[in-house]
Amino acid sequence: MSKILEIKNLTVSFDGFKALNDLNFSMESGELRVIIGPNGAGKTTFLDVITGKVQPTKGRVLFKGKNIKKNPEYKIARMGIGRKFQTPRVYLNLTVTENLDLVCNHNKNVFSTLFSRPKSGEIITVAGLLETIGLEAKANAQAALLSHGEKQRLEIGMLVAQSPDLLLVDEPAAGLTDEETENVGALLLSLAESHSIIAIEHDMEFVRQIANNKVTVLHQGSVLCEGTMDEVQNDPRVIEVYLGKAPSITQQQMNMLRIAASMAWADGNFEPEQIDVILSRLSREFATNVEHQDSLQKELQNYLAKNIPLEDLVPKLKSFGEKERVLKLSYEIISSNEINDREAVVYQKLLQLLDLPTEMVEQVEAEIDAQYK
Amino acid sequence: MNVREEIIKKNKRRKQLIETAIVIGLVIVFAVILPVVLPGFRLRLLGRILALSIVALGIDLIWGYTGLLSLGHGIFFALGGYALAMHLKLQLPDGQLPEFFTLYGVKELPWFWYPFDSFPVTIIALIVIPGIAAGLLGYLVFRNRIKGVYFSIITQAALLVFFNFFNGQQKLINGTNGLKTDTETIFGILASSDSAQKTFYIITVIAVVVVYYFCRWLTSGRFGRLLIAIRDDETRVRFSGYDPTGYKVLVFAISGAIAGIAGALYTVQTGIITPKFMEVPFSIEMVIWVAVGGRATLIGAIIGTLLVRLAQTFLSESFPEVWLFFQGALFLIVVTVLPNGIVGWWRDFAWNKLSYVLGLRKRITTYASLEENPEVRQEREELEMRDR
Repeated sequence: MSKILEIKNLTVSFDGFKALNDLNFSMESGELRVIIGPNGAGKTTFLDVITGKVQPTKGRVLFKGKNIKKNPEYKIARMGIGRKFQTPRVYLNLTVTENLDLVCNHNKNVFSTLFSRPKSGEIITVAGLLETIGLEAKANAQAALLSHGEKQRLEIGMLVAQSPDLLLVDEPAAGLTDEETENVGALLLSLAESHSIIAIEHDMEFVRQIANNKVTVLHQGSVLCEGTMDEVQNDPRVIEVYLGKAPSITQQQMNMLRIAASMAWADGNFEPEQIDVILSRLSREFATNVEHQDSLQKELQNYLAKNIPLEDLVPKLKSFGEKERVLKLSYEIISSNEINDREAVVYQKLLQLLDLPTEMVEQVEAEIDAQYK
Repeated sequence: MNVREEIIKKNKRRKQLIETAIVIGLVIVFAVILPVVLPGFRLRLLGRILALSIVALGIDLIWGYTGLLSLGHGIFFALGGYALAMHLKLQLPDGQLPEFFTLYGVKELPWFWYPFDSFPVTIIALIVIPGIAAGLLGYLVFRNRIKGVYFSIITQAALLVFFNFFNGQQKLINGTNGLKTDTETIFGILASSDSAQKTFYIITVIAVVVVYYFCRWLTSGRFGRLLIAIRDDETRVRFSGYDPTGYKVLVFAISGAIAGIAGALYTVQTGIITPKFMEVPFSIEMVIWVAVGGRATLIGAIIGTLLVRLAQTFLSESFPEVWLFFQGALFLIVVTVLPNGIVGWWRDFAWNKLSYVLGLRKRITTYASLEENPEVRQEREELEMRDR
């Protein structure tokens, strides 16, 4: 299958503020992709760039292999990108049928709109769409009289009437009741059979309903991670980004935790055993009573996401005692499962940076080796 | 479903018949009966008001349907008026210049006067020149996505520019004094004579009907619905694959051309055109007529103009001081009590009330009006079909 949308090194800055920062994204045709991310992650700007509402500062957006830069919105829409807005945007003073008919119009030039009559094919399309979105009974009612959920469905119907190849849907479940949300979800899923769809969503329940494929997480204007819903939900980086609480531990303690996390990330694979080791050791070190240790474990888990280079972290260690504790913890982490080559390399780098006496290092290693045998 | 469609079609046809009958009736009243009944100067006044209702139709197109409040229609109105007045001024023996030129020592006719020597060219010009002027102004404004209040301000600024320009050009178009048409001849007949005035009146009545039906045609199909769509949500229109700029430019140009026709008819029935036609209050008044009658209704524009202007005539005849207060009060009442104008009020409120009183329709007392709910109706129809 070919790529329907490809975005390369996309940066959008508004007066120096980077709403999107070096974002890379690609998607196969026929895919239903859900994009999640906390507020201000740049989700809506992302859609704005694809639809031509905002011009990129840097980078390229390729739709079906063609660069869409500098095309006005209406041309991009004609190329085959349809967009649904966060709040339903339908023409309130027109009836449901008229709303659909306007979008269905194949030739959208001024004079052909003025002089040509609706073609029979278009009339059939409108009738079919009315059925799909379940608004047959209200076909001749003014859109202003529809409920919020019906407006959402009408707008999705209008998108489909445009017969786009790529549908962009911005928070379709916002402000809907549970039942309506399910209806919209089912509608999206049935549309996904014949269209490529990008859906932006906040509501995790809804995401779980519709995400049958990949989920992309945006954070601070770039892609944080991508994967199936389960992978994404268990990714500690995502959890950190979504919780984003102020840490209750001190800077020094956080620094130790970060080093430990970076050691665990060394082979690009954060094993559950490693998480256990880090959390149990550190929580015992940072807190005295058992209850506090438990709650601390939960909090610390959220901070494991970041993988910061050791060069930035180690110089922040002040006392000799801290360095020793870091060494112990790090060795224990990589020993918790089989030590592999990459871990060994990172460990050697850590030793170099710590600059501790050799006898001491050997002693610590021996202690821990004994413990794991 | 088919039965239902047929009923809808039948209703539509009946409505159209009733409407055509009403229009024919009105045309007979205005074009045949009133000229006989009314004295000459009253008829001339009515003709002027009808001419103004044409410009109101143009404003309804751009404001009522497309949602762009133009405060500069005086420009296009005056351009149409000047075009026809220039033609009348040129009805002279060969080699003679219109009188006022000699006052300023102009020996040769300015170049742009020449085309207006021909009557057909003048007729085309009085439609096309205002249309092009509006189209050009519209293109510059709409291309840059200027809308809302900024559009209104720009049109008003343009109005002032034109006003000052026409005021200052004595040597070209007689400046502040304007062009007098009453003393000129058209096809050899004095323009202020009763027979000429009656002809102008009849032409005005025909023009109102023609322009009205033209606007109806324009607003009834997809094009008209797109104008409403632009008014409701222009961004959505763009994302649906339409370029609103072209539509807005075309409508503004048509609206300007209609104003040109109105200006020409108004000028010959007033007897003079001066730059005063481009004063700010006059253009605002045009907007008031549409607001009073009801936006986006077309017929409302005509009703509003007739109502406000007739009220003005009678009130200012008996209480000359009161008129301006009355006009202000009228505008306030419309804005606060009848936001959709008279026609809107009739359609949304009074007609329903009346049909309850006359027993044409059942009174709906419950919320959610079960009887009229389309889903309930559809279900009932389906059940009935099955029973058959």
